[in-house]
Amino acid sequence: MKKLTYFPGCSAHGTSEEFDHTLKLVMKSLEVELDEIPDWNCCGATSAHVMTENLALALPLRNLVLAETLHNDTMGIACASCYARHKVTKYELDKDPVLAKKINTTIDDGTYHGSVEVKSMLQFVYEDIGIEKIKSLVKKPLTGLKVACYYGCLLTRPKAITQFDSPEYPMSMDRIMEALGATAVPFDFKTECCGASFSISSSDVVLSLSGKILEYAKASGADMIVVACPLCQSNLDMRQPGVEKLFHVKLNLPVMYFTQLLALAFGHDQKDLMLGKHIVPVEKALAKIGKEPEKKEEIKSKKTVESEEAK
Amino acid sequence: MARVGVFVCFCGANIADFVDVNEVVEETKKIKDVKFAINYKYMCSDPGQGLIKQAIIENKLTSVVVAACSPRMHEKTFRRAISEAGLNPFLLEIANIREHSSWVHQKDKKSATAKSCDLVRMAVAKSIANEQLHEISVPVTKRALVIGGGIAGIQAALDIADAHIPVVLVEKSPSIGGRMAQLDETFPTLDCSQCILTPRMVDVATHPYIELIPYSEVVGLDGYVGNYKVQIKKKASYVNFSSCTGCGACSQKCPVKVPNEFNLGHDKRKAIYSPFPQAVPNKPVIDAEHCLMLTKGKCGICKKTCEKGSIDYDMKDEIIEREVGAVVVATGYELYDASPYEEYGVGRFKDVISSLEFERMVSASGPTGGTPIRPSDGEIPKNVVFIKCVGSRDEAKGIEYCSKICCMYTAKHAMLLHHKVHDSHAFIFYMDIRAAGKGYEEFVKRAQVETAATYLRGRVSKIYQKGKKLIVRGEDAQIGQIVEVEADLVVLATAVMAQKDNPDLARRLGISYDKYGFLSEAHPKLRPVETSKAGIFLAGCTQAPKDIPDTVSQASACAAKVCGLFASDTMKKDPMISHIVQENCTGCQNCIRVCPYTAIVTEEIPIAPRSTEMRTIAKVNEGVCQGCGSCVAICRSFAATLSGFTDKQIINEILAI
Amino acid sequence: MITLGIKDQHTFLDEVNKRSGCNILECYQCGKCSGTCPVSMYMDITPRQVMQFVKLGMKDEVLVANSSWFCLTCAACSGRCPRQIDIPRVMETIRHIAIEENISSKSKKVKDIRKFHDIFLDMVRRYGRGYELRLMAEFNIRTRNYFKDMFLAPSALGKGKIKLLPARMKTAKAIKRMFDMAKKLEEQPKQ
Repeated sequence: MKKLTYFPGCSAHGTSEEFDHTLKLVMKSLEVELDEIPDWNCCGATSAHVMTENLALALPLRNLVLAETLHNDTMGIACASCYARHKVTKYELDKDPVLAKKINTTIDDGTYHGSVEVKSMLQFVYEDIGIEKIKSLVKKPLTGLKVACYYGCLLTRPKAITQFDSPEYPMSMDRIMEALGATAVPFDFKTECCGASFSISSSDVVLSLSGKILEYAKASGADMIVVACPLCQSNLDMRQPGVEKLFHVKLNLPVMYFTQLLALAFGHDQKDLMLGKHIVPVEKALAKIGKEPEKKEEIKSKKTVESEEAK
Repeated sequence: MARVGVFVCFCGANIADFVDVNEVVEETKKIKDVKFAINYKYMCSDPGQGLIKQAIIENKLTSVVVAACSPRMHEKTFRRAISEAGLNPFLLEIANIREHSSWVHQKDKKSATAKSCDLVRMAVAKSIANEQLHEISVPVTKRALVIGGGIAGIQAALDIADAHIPVVLVEKSPSIGGRMAQLDETFPTLDCSQCILTPRMVDVATHPYIELIPYSEVVGLDGYVGNYKVQIKKKASYVNFSSCTGCGACSQKCPVKVPNEFNLGHDKRKAIYSPFPQAVPNKPVIDAEHCLMLTKGKCGICKKTCEKGSIDYDMKDEIIEREVGAVVVATGYELYDASPYEEYGVGRFKDVISSLEFERMVSASGPTGGTPIRPSDGEIPKNVVFIKCVGSRDEAKGIEYCSKICCMYTAKHAMLLHHKVHDSHAFIFYMDIRAAGKGYEEFVKRAQVETAATYLRGRVSKIYQKGKKLIVRGEDAQIGQIVEVEADLVVLATAVMAQKDNPDLARRLGISYDKYGFLSEAHPKLRPVETSKAGIFLAGCTQAPKDIPDTVSQASACAAKVCGLFASDTMKKDPMISHIVQENCTGCQNCIRVCPYTAIVTEEIPIAPRSTEMRTIAKVNEGVCQGCGSCVAICRSFAATLSGFTDKQIINEILAI
Repeated sequence: MITLGIKDQHTFLDEVNKRSGCNILECYQCGKCSGTCPVSMYMDITPRQVMQFVKLGMKDEVLVANSSWFCLTCAACSGRCPRQIDIPRVMETIRHIAIEENISSKSKKVKDIRKFHDIFLDMVRRYGRGYELRLMAEFNIRTRNYFKDMFLAPSALGKGKIKLLPARMKTAKAIKRMFDMAKKLEEQPKQ
């Protein structure tokens, strides 16, 4: 049984409850025990680093120090924003021990040693679990479902800090989806920012940015978008009616978490996935699973002749 | 009895303003062995030299110290002067009181003067221990090796051969011609590249003084300037070139089709093939990886078809040797693989191609007969976006330098596109427009005006697909607005890179290369065609990116150097080199290991006179040794010694302070 | 029009360089950042222009521009910058200087963004964890956009996406202390 220190983040009990819930289902199937950090605090998200220098490092530092008390070597974080904050904090403090000491004075929960590695849940599933293990657990393959894997900006960037997958055209989620039997469509907007934290303070920016992503995903032939970040999910799903109104389009493109699809493929029932939480209904897209794929025009490949006959 | 003469130079104000040259002379006169000391305004001038010569004769001087500028400046001048007065030229020592004193201690005349006196005293002490040395004569093999049969190698070979010096020209691919054979038209004249190149290729093939060895590689080089031995691997072509007439019937019948490298994979060639119609020599070779007979023992059609019986499946690689006196390296360039530009969809989008692919497309002899098309669907593109600086000037992708030719050939591409597709529209994303050559700025202006190409200043940020089109997005920095171009085709001006095997070749030849793999010149300004190894020269893009005029100039410069080297039957060499004192050498071979010029070899000598038992010791090859002193530093048994810098000379210097 | 050579041009550049750890002199104005930035079209001056402004010592213009406040820290620009300049860090430094010197854009957009961040941090200070409902409500009130997202609220609340009550931390006091200690560190003189 692998043990993974778990940082749920503020949205886990609210806007991304379905992410947290299905993540726990999936971890059970993968035989990973989640060790939640005791009495964790908010990482500060965007606001802390936008407005402050030291507080922005102090908030995640406390969680990192608490994580060290659990003695697991890795901490997995579901929310991409929380992941980015913790990862950047660890990077900065590991690089500059003087700074680490200075920030450490703001808390009295312990001393920072930098002994816990920080990974996003996507990274953990892809690297530590691996495609082969995922394939072996698939009971209900998702054949017939076309998904556009949307990574957002924080899971693979900046490259020097995340050191995971490609910052421009990552394929880890795509490969996981393919392992589940779904078809991951080529998607050029997979790392374009959705508008992130402007969701409340500057919603028109989100509508524009998320709108482009949704339109492009639809044009790429996807039945749904798959994400690994609560803020992305919220912007693409909750704001979708706003996008439709602003751009005068009909999208009907549901947005699901990759853990929901993992749980589904591993044999869980649809009603265990908290589908009711979605603003854009997902049932129609899920109904495509198991149906015959549309006949694609066969592209005749150029014959590379290797004749075995003497003329 | 030593009789040293010291000559202190004012060097105008350069030395005299910061060093009291009179005091230096007075202090010097106090030194025991100094019999004559004087100062003068410009010691290197004719009267200055005359002073020295006169003093030598009148005072019967046994060695001379000139306290002046760096020996790099005038050591040769003063050596010649003293030899004209009858003194061995190596009985000269230079005390550098300019670069080492006046130039670096301008704020403290007193200390600068004291230091200058010290430097003179050291030089005097050293000069007393100087030995008479004589320049070494080395025999010269008057034959040149040219590695690489592109325009650089061709030009160098022809120039050397025209001077009636035999040339061995080795080329890796089945035909000479290099990159120029792949070009359609060249800037700034829009000459047809093959039309101006092929006559030269024929000249090479028919020149009585050129031995062309195609489909071969240099695998080893031994020896030293004037006396090199080169090992050449002739790859098995499986075709007997002497009987083959180049009729091409074998290629026609061959059933195997393979992506054609000459056209960068945009069409196919056969397993037995000649790279292009004007190939020189016009003889096909068999690609052993794809030939059915050579891989599976089947087919054999080419052999059956050949009327001259020239096909020989049993041919093997062959190593041959040639003796040469000089080498010209002209191995050319390759283009950057833009796969790291994931933001441009390189490899994902079929319609994002490199500049050389575009060049092949617009060539009449190319895969599309001269019409640019979209590789994805074969349609003729109307909006073509050209992106410059792909790889070049991009430290994040690992290349800092500018590739020099892309601004010009992109303007050329805009012109060619305009000629081939009249209603096309070129969009050129650039950072700068570098058009520094003769007629180059005029050419760019012509391109801009005649084609009405839209030049947009800004690097492209991203390319994505929208239906059949590619959307190219960037900022036009001149109006400060984001622009998106709906393109049918995107052409990337990828960086000019050194050939991947340049470092290997450099190691085999014993020359150096930089972090990009470009071969290193001896001095970027004053010795641009020489390398650190005497007798090996560089021409063309193997040294750095450059255009055809500069390549041809550099090639001719190499030829001039080679001819200079071969001007007499022997070569004079600086005698300040190392030699091994046989009695002291233990044969540990550490010197061989540290010698950067591979100038030391082993030799067997009897352990005692008249003994038949042999022992191994080291021997310095006089022609190759450059006198760096590494062997002297590492030798534990005082066997290695450097003429002109013996232990005695150096210890004298140290004790003098 | 700008006149140069009359006052010290490099003070602001040196400050930004030092605090961001970058060397903006390396920027050769290629514009790849601006074309990449998803919100450059909302900015008064594009990221590339911000670099040039900093180089020319136009401190006031840079601090008053909305550019740094629109930066999403998505790091797409720095990933592509050929000179590997950490542009999000530069934007962050500009924001922090603007806060310290109390100079910022007068635009409502920027004021709203700053209000949001202030309220968010206030929530974190109080509860140790985010409290979205109060965050949204307070934001609406303080930006006088009372009915914003009104139609979203019922379904969001109904689906449980937004909780009525805040999540609580056992040791919320530790967070209050952290805020105070961090503030003390800010007040120390910058090295």
